[in-house]
Amino acid sequence: MAAAPSLSLAWRIASRELRGGLAGFRVFMLCLALGVAAITAVGWTSGAVVGGLAADARRLLGGDMEMRLVHRTATADEQAYLAANSARLSETVRLRAMASSRDNTARTLIELKAVDDVYPMIGQMQLDPPLEREDMLVARDGLPSAVVDANLLDKLGITQGGTIRIGQTQFRIAAVITSEPDRVTNIINYGPRVMIAKDDLESTGLVQPGSLIRYYYRVLFTPGTDPTVWRDNLAAALPDAGWRVRAANEAAPGVRRFIERLTLFMSFVGYTVLLVGGVGITRAINAYLESKSRTIATLKCLGAPAGLIVQVYLLQVFVLSIAAIGLGLVVGIVLPALSLYGIADQLPVRPIFAWHLEALGIAAAFGFMTSVTAALWPLGRAREVPARDLFRAQAAPLSVSPRRIYLLWIGLGLALLTGLVFLSASDKWFALWFVLGALVTVSLLRLAGSILIRLSRRLHPKNAIARLVIANIHRPGAATSGVILSLGLGLAVLVAVVQIEGNITRQIDERLPKEAPAYFFIDIQPGQVADFDRIVTGIDGTSDLRREPVVRGRIVEINGTDVSEVEIKPESQWAVRGDRALTSTGAMKPDTQIVAGEWWPADYSGPALISLDDGLAKGFGVGIGDTLTLNILGRRITAEIASLREIDWQTLRFDFALVLSPGVLEGAPHTHIAAVRASEAAEAPLEKAVTDAFDNVSAIHVREALAAARDLMAGISIAIRAVAGLTVLAGAIVLAGALAAGQERRRFDAVVFKVLGATRKRIAATFVLEYGALGILTALCALGVGTLAAWAVSTFLMHMDWTWLPGEAILTLAIALLATILLGLAGSWRILGMKTAPFLRND
Amino acid sequence: MNAPHTPDTLIALEGAELTLPSDAGPVEILRGIDLAVRPGEILGIVGPSGSGKTSLLMIMAGLERATRGRVSLQGTSYEGLSEDALAKLRGENIGIVFQDFHLIPNMTALENVALPLELAGHEDAFDRARASLDEVGLSHRHTHYPGQLSGGEQQRVALARALGPSPKLILADEPTGNLDGETGEKIMALMFDIHERKGTTLILVTHEERLAARCNRRVVMADGNIVTDTAAPMAAD
Repeated sequence: MAAAPSLSLAWRIASRELRGGLAGFRVFMLCLALGVAAITAVGWTSGAVVGGLAADARRLLGGDMEMRLVHRTATADEQAYLAANSARLSETVRLRAMASSRDNTARTLIELKAVDDVYPMIGQMQLDPPLEREDMLVARDGLPSAVVDANLLDKLGITQGGTIRIGQTQFRIAAVITSEPDRVTNIINYGPRVMIAKDDLESTGLVQPGSLIRYYYRVLFTPGTDPTVWRDNLAAALPDAGWRVRAANEAAPGVRRFIERLTLFMSFVGYTVLLVGGVGITRAINAYLESKSRTIATLKCLGAPAGLIVQVYLLQVFVLSIAAIGLGLVVGIVLPALSLYGIADQLPVRPIFAWHLEALGIAAAFGFMTSVTAALWPLGRAREVPARDLFRAQAAPLSVSPRRIYLLWIGLGLALLTGLVFLSASDKWFALWFVLGALVTVSLLRLAGSILIRLSRRLHPKNAIARLVIANIHRPGAATSGVILSLGLGLAVLVAVVQIEGNITRQIDERLPKEAPAYFFIDIQPGQVADFDRIVTGIDGTSDLRREPVVRGRIVEINGTDVSEVEIKPESQWAVRGDRALTSTGAMKPDTQIVAGEWWPADYSGPALISLDDGLAKGFGVGIGDTLTLNILGRRITAEIASLREIDWQTLRFDFALVLSPGVLEGAPHTHIAAVRASEAAEAPLEKAVTDAFDNVSAIHVREALAAARDLMAGISIAIRAVAGLTVLAGAIVLAGALAAGQERRRFDAVVFKVLGATRKRIAATFVLEYGALGILTALCALGVGTLAAWAVSTFLMHMDWTWLPGEAILTLAIALLATILLGLAGSWRILGMKTAPFLRND
Repeated sequence: MNAPHTPDTLIALEGAELTLPSDAGPVEILRGIDLAVRPGEILGIVGPSGSGKTSLLMIMAGLERATRGRVSLQGTSYEGLSEDALAKLRGENIGIVFQDFHLIPNMTALENVALPLELAGHEDAFDRARASLDEVGLSHRHTHYPGQLSGGEQQRVALARALGPSPKLILADEPTGNLDGETGEKIMALMFDIHERKGTTLILVTHEERLAARCNRRVVMADGNIVTDTAAPMAAD
């Protein structure tokens, strides 16, 4: 009984085909597994850390809910409400301050934390030597105690048991902190942690009106409390408290944001690995199907419909994709899991070693969609293999274009992949940039490849070897365009990363030290300004002292709408996230750049006006005449935007995003902040003079902060380069595949050369020239496209000044070029030693 | 010459032309072929290289479409049939034997023979394939892969594969061209024997006059035309 061929028949034929082994699929599987592994590793690591944040949320927050006030403590009523509506209440105070050694020879900025007896409500303090909590901060030898980070001891040159001075008080160091339960490692720390008892804070004299001091009130809920209801009740009971309320699931927002951004960026590098791999997949399947063209023609001769042929090979792609994706997922979990396990102690949270199925699902979906989309073109071509080829001596390479329906399927696959990029990206703008960037980059590399092929067709050197090398660049079926696209894409990513990183480092190392002030001094009391100015200007080598009054306030409404309901661009969200420094001034400062509106008269008195950073105005979607409502120490002030200023923040210039018209802040308790330039020799005397004279004034040393930023950058750049290196690895796999596919032709060339009298040295020179030419062309294209991408990212995304840094980029490319030649020669070495006779007999 | 289709014709070509494009302009491969082959005939096609023998075979197999003229199998014209319909027609009616055997390397002899039967949807494909292999004397080679077989054995597998679906027509393109003389003889003896027993129509393209002489009809081609078409008595083995 005869029946129509079915999917089961396609599967039977496919499984017989697969018996031939995976030799033809190595490049396909490696490319796919590598891409999936990269995306999995990024997603899984992020999932593990974010999962850790969620699991430790209460510990990190230090309670079930946290209320934070700036400048002021909670009133008695507020504290009474919190105490009455919780199982437990704890108060901690945080501020930046200066600590110095007893003999005052060394001093440093510290992050001071004053805690009550209840602290910590969740988790344990771990100290060296171990101390019971109740003994931790008791007075010793008549001095109050402090526990400190180990690096404070190094900075001040003291030992445990020694004393330090904070403000007007000496503290004895009782122990070194090894673990602080509610401490989240900040991206940039301003100084080591020093923890003291809350009751000892007053005596330091640091608590001054307007000083930047944060008061945290944490509560533990009674069992059965619904956090949302509790929060709503709090807002109803104390609507004017003006505190920032944070639940456990909002703990460590900075770390969460940082991980989110890093994940976003690294994911896109991962997608690029898969994009490069996609080129390899297309080439590998094309080569495989070309090797199968006789089988395909035979199947057609035996009565197989074209649809069955596509089913047979699509099923093979499915099976091998599943295997490669599985491999990628395993590698993408195991490698980061081992790394995380190794550095778990240095992470801000304990990573959660779980499956993180969402990350795995996204990586698998990307892998599967990429492999099927990449396979459609060669499959569509294979469908058109004419059965008549069997009657001819040599089956021709697959050269026809697939039918229109296949082009539509490819389009659909690309659309789905784009959709997946948008769906999985936390920042849709970034996703749009990536997709457009990928599209432009791929188009440019393809264009470059086809221009080079066309140019090479016009070259007709007299030397036979040179002619062969040139011909190998443009002959039909040459790997040139594929290699330029895939390896070029990988190298372009590396060139772009190296240059962006180089520009950031240059900014930190060269530009900032020249343009930025040497010190920022904060928390200068109004009564101290005259002395402060006198001391600073009296030190040789200081210049450009600028000092402004400052209060902290929060933007609560934009044009009368609560900020939580306003759509604000991601790059401007920092400004509404918490309290910001504000100033109020009459006359416009020199070198202010007004881009819209006008500055108010120096003696202006009238309704509140505001001069806003132009970038923020764009992010908020506001302009001249719009209003911002600020909450300054519980007072709400609505001000009209009178002017917009362009501020170059990258120079660490002393400026304020929000400047209010004169008189607005009158009566508000405020401090002063000052910026001073100083020669390197003047830095130490300046810091000593100011901090000796004013216990409450903190000095932020810009050079140290920059060094910390550079260290951070170095750490991140290792991770970024590692992932970017994967794109080059993917490109190298594609290159290796392309070279392997061309081996048969090279063998034939070598035999003919030997027959005609060429020495092995000469043949080796031909290979070096061929790989070198391919490598140089690819490197040049990558240099151009990578530089263009780096310029676009630096200029439009990072708003950074751009300088072309060819040195490192060219070095990177030179290494890549050398690798290309070595990789090619490694594959061709055997050919050189091959005997000609057997080949000629068999052919 | 004109050979219109008649009820006792298996395959007929009427004014079949084949012109292929090339860089130097169109090349006329076949220039109006008229040919009718009756069921049970053994037709030998001979002629110098480039005379169009293989192209004629391809047109008969439906692997190449005639640029002009008509090709029909048992009254069914190839014209207007889709590629898949032609593949089905081929699978059910025509067996093809190639000079290079064209066995699928990753399939055993049995699987190679069963393949056209599976493609035609026969549920007993493997039983019939076994019988077909036994018929060509390869009952001991069912599980061998093509690479493990000699050239003669490979061609016998190819023959079993062509015969498996019991086609009405076998097209053979230089079936002994890649075999030594003795093995070639054996293959041809097998083909003629099968023809004797089953009455399958056989169309052979060959260079070998000796082989052509054993056919009961002989067509000589030159420059895309049939120059002679003669009935010949079967030569004795």
